[in-house]
Amino acid sequence: MEEQLRKEARRLLTEGEVAVVIGYGWNSRKTRVTPVFITNPDDADKLVFNALCVNNLSIYLTRKYKDIKALGKPAIVAKGCDIKNIVICVSEGQVARDNVYIIGMSCTGVVYKQELWQGELTDNIMPTKCHNCEVRNPHVTDIVIGDKVDFTPPEEPTGMVFDKIREFDRKTPKERWDFWIDHFNRCIKCYACRQACSLCYCERCITDKNQPQWIETSAHERGNLAWNLIRAQHLTGRCTECGECERACPANIPLNLVNSKQALIVKESFGYKSGFDMEEHPPMIVYKPEDKDDFIK
Amino acid sequence: MILSKEKLGALVEQVKISGALFAAPAVDGGQVVMKSVNVADEISFDYVITANSAKEYLFPQTETIAVVEIEKNKVKLSAVEPDAPETVLFGVRPCDAAAFASLRSVFTWDFIDESYTKREDKSIVLSVACTKGDEGCFCTSVGLKPDTTDGSDLQLKETTDGGSFVVEALTDKGKEFVKKFSDVFDDGSADTKAIFTPDEIPGGVDIEKIKERLADPAHYADPVWPELARKCFGCGACTFSCPTCHCFDITDEGDVFSTERKKNWDACQIDNFTLHASGHNPRDTQTKRWRNRFMCKFHIYPKKFTTKGCVGCGRCVRVCPVRLDITEVMAEFSK
Ligand code: SF4
Ligand code: SF4
Ligand code: SF4
Ligand code: SF4
Ligand code: SF4
Repeated sequence: MEEQLRKEARRLLTEGEVAVVIGYGWNSRKTRVTPVFITNPDDADKLVFNALCVNNLSIYLTRKYKDIKALGKPAIVAKGCDIKNIVICVSEGQVARDNVYIIGMSCTGVVYKQELWQGELTDNIMPTKCHNCEVRNPHVTDIVIGDKVDFTPPEEPTGMVFDKIREFDRKTPKERWDFWIDHFNRCIKCYACRQACSLCYCERCITDKNQPQWIETSAHERGNLAWNLIRAQHLTGRCTECGECERACPANIPLNLVNSKQALIVKESFGYKSGFDMEEHPPMIVYKPEDKDDFIK
Repeated sequence: MILSKEKLGALVEQVKISGALFAAPAVDGGQVVMKSVNVADEISFDYVITANSAKEYLFPQTETIAVVEIEKNKVKLSAVEPDAPETVLFGVRPCDAAAFASLRSVFTWDFIDESYTKREDKSIVLSVACTKGDEGCFCTSVGLKPDTTDGSDLQLKETTDGGSFVVEALTDKGKEFVKKFSDVFDDGSADTKAIFTPDEIPGGVDIEKIKERLADPAHYADPVWPELARKCFGCGACTFSCPTCHCFDITDEGDVFSTERKKNWDACQIDNFTLHASGHNPRDTQTKRWRNRFMCKFHIYPKKFTTKGCVGCGRCVRVCPVRLDITEVMAEFSK
């Protein structure tokens, strides 16, 4: 698989079809993978693909990365779940489909965090998204690398996040409130969750607007709640549940719980699943006369 | 002197009765962090290093430094005294203890920042020497050791049987602490566990060479910078978890009648950190922002102070979602 990937990268760079291949490579100790930007066909051998390749590299396609843009047209090594984010970026006019070459990777799952890797990918170190994955065979691509993967996601979503959501649904509003206040209290307002998300592409986030300061930047209860609510709401119906925000959070705040609960609600209310259709806009950013409104009470 | 783990309960209790805060490594949100504990049972011993550094006890994430009240024809501006409780910082790793000296250098440099110094004066650091570590640890590459005593008032070393600590009082503050809580400390000595040795950084590191290379402005144009650093996505997690990072932002919160002036952590990795009012941003790419972080640790800091810009705790390596490993950059600039 890696050979096939390297060959394609070499071809793309040699023929000048793209200027940079954004992919994964080893760190110097060969213990972790890290994003690499290959511009020279001779460096194509640095590309790797394995269960440690958890990063969603689509972040580098967004307009914040002027220096990466300046390199020229990119090719991106992307798993199906990463491609979902590219789909949203295309549907929201952030990335032109013709301006990115998608190297879709057949995928059998990744680790939740690289630190958990012990040499083998077991179910308990895979994130919830992999247990329910519909895109192990990537869905929007210019080329697919790797053999077809045989996997049918379960009808009822499984995994830790959904178990927690079901447990949560049985709780009282007070219990839920206390749970979140407790977790959000640990927030240190680093905004790693925002920076990790390719759908948080605003060059000026609402938290950066300080005349007036809409969202208090202090890491106190009010400020933390305000930030976490805003982050969630700006991603409602757009978030693809890629999990990068939770992975990046140094305070271990279970952001995937928020993301997946929202995705369930959006699916139920609008019949929309984000990240599959480049032509369709996420429901919260468009109005359609036939939108359901029976949840407005 | 010996502190048996069994007597830690009594120590925590007595410290709390004396009115002080007792912060120690404990599990919160699924990871071991420095946090205020009420009983010794909460304390974790099984950790390499706490996920957060202990700096937040001396330099909180957010604090109010002034209050403005506006009445009809009057504006009342008042300073707020820093809230500086007596604090016992237990189980701090030696690198983190050494980092307090670094913070002090900054906060007493051209201005005495009392909100830091008052808290530091009222806290006591009980470090525990490392008997284990991980791939992220590199204190030995920056001239420290897993049993460095810089910044510690007392240093504890775990005994071979794992049931106690051998205690060394290093400062007057440390000696007073032992006197004050004398019934929990026993006379005697014991064999202690072997101290951990971090791996050498692949390629080798030469701090003097790094300084020399960074002193020559020619490095700004070195194509190695974008190669190493453009993957950074500016999340700030490295800076916020770093024990020596000290930047803050001042912001006003409230309404037109009553406002609190806040001092909040800020980070050079965040895109608008250097954004000017004119719209110009001298560090307009992530590469430049990351380069600044490296320069701060290994050029700007050592030029001004004798304390360490980086203590090698490895948090920035562990926490980085793109695995931008500062040690790889150190190795590159040691060439
Ligand atoms: S969600 Fe699917 S495509 Fe993404 S890493 Fe898991 S298995 Fe692979
Ligand atoms: S909000 Fe989190 S899970 Fe959703 S797309 Fe962004 S990074 Fe991924
Ligand atoms: S990454 Fe976590 S700690 Fe940082 S701002 Fe987001 S929720 Fe808060
Ligand atoms: S720069 Fe990294 S290794 Fe050095 S003190 Fe800060 S967090 Fe620790
Ligand atoms: S933790 Fe990593 S990605 Fe985040 S700002 Fe630091 S170097 Fe950049």
